[in-house]
Parts: sequence; C-alpha cells; structure tokens
Amino acid sequence: MSVSQPALTPSTVSRRRFLTVAGAGVTTSALLTMLDARQAPAQIKGTTLRILQWSHFIPAYDAWFDNKFVKDWGDKNGVKVRVDHIPHLELPARMAAEFAAGAGHDIIMNGSSILTRLYYKSLADVSDIYDSIGKKRGGWIPTAKPLVEVEGKQYGIPMFYILLPMLYRKDLFDANNLKAPDTWELARVAARTLKPKGHPTGIQFSQCADANLNWRSVLFSFGGAETDPSGENILIDSKETREALRFAKALFDEGMTPEVFSWDDASDNRFLASGVGCWIHDAISAYRTTEDTNPDVFKNTYIGMEPAGPGGKRVSTSAANVYMIWKFSKNQPAAKEFLVHFMEEFKDGMVQSRGYNMPYLLGDAQKPMPIIGSDPKMQILQDFPKIVAFYGYPGPFTTPVQEVVNLFVLPDMFTRVARGQSVDDVMKWGVGEYQRIFSKHKRA
Amino acid sequence: MTTASLHGGPEPSARAAVVSAPARPAERMWWQSHSAQRKTFGYTLLAPAALYVLLLVGAPFLFSLWLAVSDANVGDPVAHFVGLENFRAAWEMDTFWIAFRNSVVFLVVAAIFKGLLGTSLAFLLLQNFRGKKLIRGLVVIPFTLPIAISVLSWKWMYDSQFSVINWVLSRAGLIGSYGSESWPVWLGQPHLALAACIAVNVWRTFPFSAIVLLAGFTAIPLEVLDAAKVDGCTFFQRFRHIVTPMIFPILMIGFLFDTVFTLSDLSVVYLLTQGGPANASKILPVLAYQIGIQAGNLGRGAAIALFLVPLLLPALILVLRNIKRREW
Repeated sequence: MSVSQPALTPSTVSRRRFLTVAGAGVTTSALLTMLDARQAPAQIKGTTLRILQWSHFIPAYDAWFDNKFVKDWGDKNGVKVRVDHIPHLELPARMAAEFAAGAGHDIIMNGSSILTRLYYKSLADVSDIYDSIGKKRGGWIPTAKPLVEVEGKQYGIPMFYILLPMLYRKDLFDANNLKAPDTWELARVAARTLKPKGHPTGIQFSQCADANLNWRSVLFSFGGAETDPSGENILIDSKETREALRFAKALFDEGMTPEVFSWDDASDNRFLASGVGCWIHDAISAYRTTEDTNPDVFKNTYIGMEPAGPGGKRVSTSAANVYMIWKFSKNQPAAKEFLVHFMEEFKDGMVQSRGYNMPYLLGDAQKPMPIIGSDPKMQILQDFPKIVAFYGYPGPFTTPVQEVVNLFVLPDMFTRVARGQSVDDVMKWGVGEYQRIFSKHKRA
Repeated sequence: MTTASLHGGPEPSARAAVVSAPARPAERMWWQSHSAQRKTFGYTLLAPAALYVLLLVGAPFLFSLWLAVSDANVGDPVAHFVGLENFRAAWEMDTFWIAFRNSVVFLVVAAIFKGLLGTSLAFLLLQNFRGKKLIRGLVVIPFTLPIAISVLSWKWMYDSQFSVINWVLSRAGLIGSYGSESWPVWLGQPHLALAACIAVNVWRTFPFSAIVLLAGFTAIPLEVLDAAKVDGCTFFQRFRHIVTPMIFPILMIGFLFDTVFTLSDLSVVYLLTQGGPANASKILPVLAYQIGIQAGNLGRGAAIALFLVPLLLPALILVLRNIKRREW
C-alpha cells in the first residue's frame, strides 16, 4: 500500500504576510483570553467610546444606564464613555447619516427595525464575541441569530427584546364568567361580550410599530407566514392569512370601536389605563403605565400567555433590539469589551427596566428571572422565550421584509379588511405589494 | 546729448514736431474696456451668491438626480446606474398614486384656507386697536414654535379618547358621547385624517401668509385707496381692482414659498399619522422618507421625491414669468 505524499512546494508566505497573520492571531487570542478572564485589554485605557441608543420606555433605565452602569465600567477600564439617546423612530435616519459621513458613534443600537442586512458591509464582524458570550451564557434563543447573521458571520449583538403579551382586566372577565384570553377565539368572545358593556378591546389598525408586531402575532399564531425559512420565497398568499384576516374583521366588528384606526404605539396604554379597555395586546410598558396612573385598574390587570391560534400554535412577535459596531469605529476593542460586559450584566438591566428587557441568552432566561420571576402576575412572561419570533419569521429579517415592515403592508391588509374591503381584494393588493417589493430586491 | 542724436536721429526741430504730434493711443483689448471692467466687477460681486446657489442648491439637486437613476441604498457605498427603473417602480406602486393624489389635495385645500385666513388676518392687523403690537407678535407663534412640539400638541387634541375638541363638542351637545357613532376619530377616519393634517398645516403657516400680505397692504399709498373711496368703490371693488394688482408680485412670491413649503412638509403628516390609516393621509414626502431612509432604498426614495419637481416647476415658471411681465 502506498501512501501518496503531498508534493512539496516552495513556501509562498512572505515575511510581511507571516508577521501580519501572526500579529492578528496573537491580538485576537489575547482579546479572547482577556474577554474570557474578564480583564479589559490595556490598549482601551484612555480611549473614548461613543454609544447611540434609543430613549428607553422606562426612563429610570436610562438614568441608571448612563450614570451608573456606563460610568462604573468606564471608570474601571479607563474609558471615557459618552451615551447619546434619540427616539427609536429616528435611529434608521441617524444610522444612514453616520454611514454617509463615515463617522459618528462607535456603537449604534437598532430598535425594532434591525438593519443588519442593509449595513453589514459597513459593520464590524463581532462573531468572536457573539460566540464567546453564547457559550458562556448557555446559548442564544434560536431566533436571535437570524437578526444579526449575514453569510455566516454575526454583525451585531442582540441586546434584549420587548414582549407584547395579553394584558386583560380579570375583574371584568370574572364578573362576566369569561375565560382568560388563552386563545384568540377566547379573546374575541370576551371582546364581543364586554364591548356592549362599555369595555371594548383594541389593537392598532394603523401605521405604527405595534400594529406591525401585533398583527404578525395573529398571523403567525394562525399558522401563516410571510416567507419560508430561507427568507427568499413569499408565503403570504395562504388560507391561514385569509383566516387571520377574517378573524381580525370579526374582532373589529364585534369588539372594537373605530378609534383603533388612529392609534399610535401609546394609545393602547392610555386605553387600558383609562379603565375602558377589557384587554390589549401590548408591551408591559402599558402595565407599568397603568400601575403609575390608575392603581385600581392596575390591581385587576393581569398578564396572559400569547393567545393560541385555531391550531393551538402560539407565536409572540416581539420588538428586537441589537447593538452594532461600525467598521469605521477607531475603538472597536473597547466597543466589543463594553458589549461583552453589557451581556454579562444583563440581569441588572432587566431589574432596572422593571422586567421590560427580555433576554436572548438561555442562561439569563432560566426561571426565576429577575423582577418577572418574583411577581405573581408577571411570572407567565418567563414562558415566552420558547415562542418568541421577530419580523421575517420563520426566516431572517431580510431587506425586502424590512421594506414590507416600513411600508406597513401587513397592518394595511388588516386595516383594509376591517374597513370593509373583501378578503379577496385585500389579498390581491397585499400579495401584489409583497411580490413587487421582493422582485425589486431580487433584481437589485 | 540724447541717444537719438548720437545714433543719427532726427534734428531737434524735427524732434519737436514728433513730440508735438498727438500720441496714437495704445491698442486696448476688449476686456480692458470700461464697460467690460464694469461687467467684470459686477460678476465678481455676484460670484459668491452664484457659488452659494451652485453648491447648496445645484449640487444636492444633481446628487438627488443621480440617486434617482441609481440603485443606491443606505448601506452600500457603491451604486450602479439603473436608468429610469426607480421611476417605473414608483409609477407601478398603488401607494405612490394615493400619495400623489393626497399631495395635490393637501396643496390645493391648504392654499385656499391659508389664502382666506391669511387675508382676513392681514386686514384685521391693519386696523388700529389697543394691543395691536402684542397681537401681531402673538399671531406668528404657530409659525415660530418647533414643529415637533406643536404637532404633538395637536396629536393630543386629536386623540381618539381624550380629544379636547371632541369633549367640548360633546358637552355642547353637537356630537354624542365617547364611544358613540357620532364621536369623530380625527386621525382614524380616512377623510378626517387628511383634513386633520391639512388643518395643522394651515394653522402653522397661515400667519406667514398674513405677514406677507400685511407687508403688501402697507406698501399701498393711502391716497389711491382714498381716491377710490371718494369715487364710490366698495371694499371688494377696491380689493379687486386696486389692492390685488398692486400687491400682485408679493402675492406671487408668497404663493411660491407656500407651495414649496406645503409640498415638502414631511413633519405634520409623519408625526400625526405616519400616512395612515391605510395610506389615507400619505403624501409624497412621507412615502419618499419611508422608502428612502427607513427601508433603505435611497434610489427609489429620491425618485419619489423628484416627482414633486414636475408639480412645482410649472408653478414656479408661471409665477416668475408673471412677475417679470409686470415689471416691464
């Protein structure tokens, strides 16, 4: 038996290339070792780190983040950190401006509209810390990776997501012998029963972020989907979508008033806090608003599991939030170091956000979670990580889906049906919009 | 001894004749003429302004033209020429035509109301009354307030549940109670939503129309108006045959400004409805922003925004030609 020997060829590695590769290897391994040992690399000392993020819905979180969390980390590592806050709706415009200028912050946050696929060529590859954080904290929830991954590399660190569970008035349900809204059908029955008694329900039939999230929860729980898992093929034209549209029409006719056509993201908070609404499907900021403004209503407001669709499926479409590092950032080591620290101390953030920030890391999603694990009414939220989905589910948040989201195509489909257009007409319009957007991106 | 005599030049007597002969003026180039120099001086003074227009208006406009014919997107530094593809794509969009129609309705209705309210206010401010200066100061407040703050106040006034307008109307018995059929949902019913946005735009900018008109009115010689009065002209006759022709250039400039401001006003609609419900209040600037910036498709966003140009250009040419004609 002969063993073929590989032909010996003269080395083509130049001295310069050897030094470059070896240098990069040593730097990466040193960074990983330091990250592993939780010791900041000395080279970040004396540098400045600039972070751009939203103004949190829980103002106390921003105060803690800016004045305590960031300051402590900066003092410990000798890094001067500046945090700028802007409204979440302005983040995409600001990102476009910083990209065009090739300058700005080192770390930039994406909220709800995750723009990884649009900007990945200009973002730093953070696969190294994505993997190391995941390994250390029990792995990421399955839907986290598609948010930040392009061509096998990760260009962002999922920071937290925001759930939109059912918030319902248990006193009204009990007084009318209604079951908790564990399914969309039970929610509809409750709305039908309580609207004539002055307690309608409401979900935004308008062009706002919550409408995009809520109607996707309904669609996905009914078994519908916008695309296949690859994100390439449109699946919106299905009997499940038609079912979901019919359901929405019935829910509107029987249980809502026309005010839902004008609602923004905060209208349902006020609707619940005013004591009028029998249930809403919203983030727990609504629960907290009620706690602060109407204690009597708050006492009777309970949080329910994501309602199941006709087939028993539950999908909770949540608002994703991701940190990214610009490739043009001159302080990438400090930025990475900060993000690792942020994820390691995630539970502090969860406490400060009063349970608003939900964890992407399975290690942090273990029961009991801070705040929500100790509050009897909020404990149910600990079961959500299993059913959480984001835009594009079951596929990634691709650029065509991003355009569909930003043009509010899906909420418009539901709105048109609620306003009286036939399901067939609306499907024709909606499918046309999806096809037009997807084909345009394919051509590009 | 002169050099000439040394070299056999003319005799002194002849030399005197040469000296006394009128010197032939040196040949001067055209740019050395007095009028050319005056022109050069004029153009030099004009150059900074021309440069300013070229850099701050021409360059962005040319850049947006390039974006409109390219596949530029916000995350990619490289863009390729795609011809009129972006315009074709916009043309095929159902939403584009809704936004186009809404933009025209928005412009026309807002212009009518701004004209009526602006004229009335200008006439009121012409009268002599106590506190006139204070009132003149107060009326421009909507125009000077930060748009985000004023629009958010309107959003609260239009709130589906807590609208102060609705509660006042309800208490006055003009509409039913909250939850009833007659309770208007200002930002939720298609026609009301667009009307609500137009109302805020009118509220914000009609003081500007009033100030422009006021400037025109005060420039009219009182003798002319008095003579018309003596001749028995009514108020409307004086307005039609004297005031309007005399302030026509100012009116046109005001109209031009107002058209540009109204058509490019993104903030009011974006902050109140984002173009909803179901695109009922969507206008071209909002659509361009959503596609160009939020969805990242700069090329198509620019193409949609450029659709405003054919809408604005005829108005611009018409107005400028009219003013020019009246000057001569």
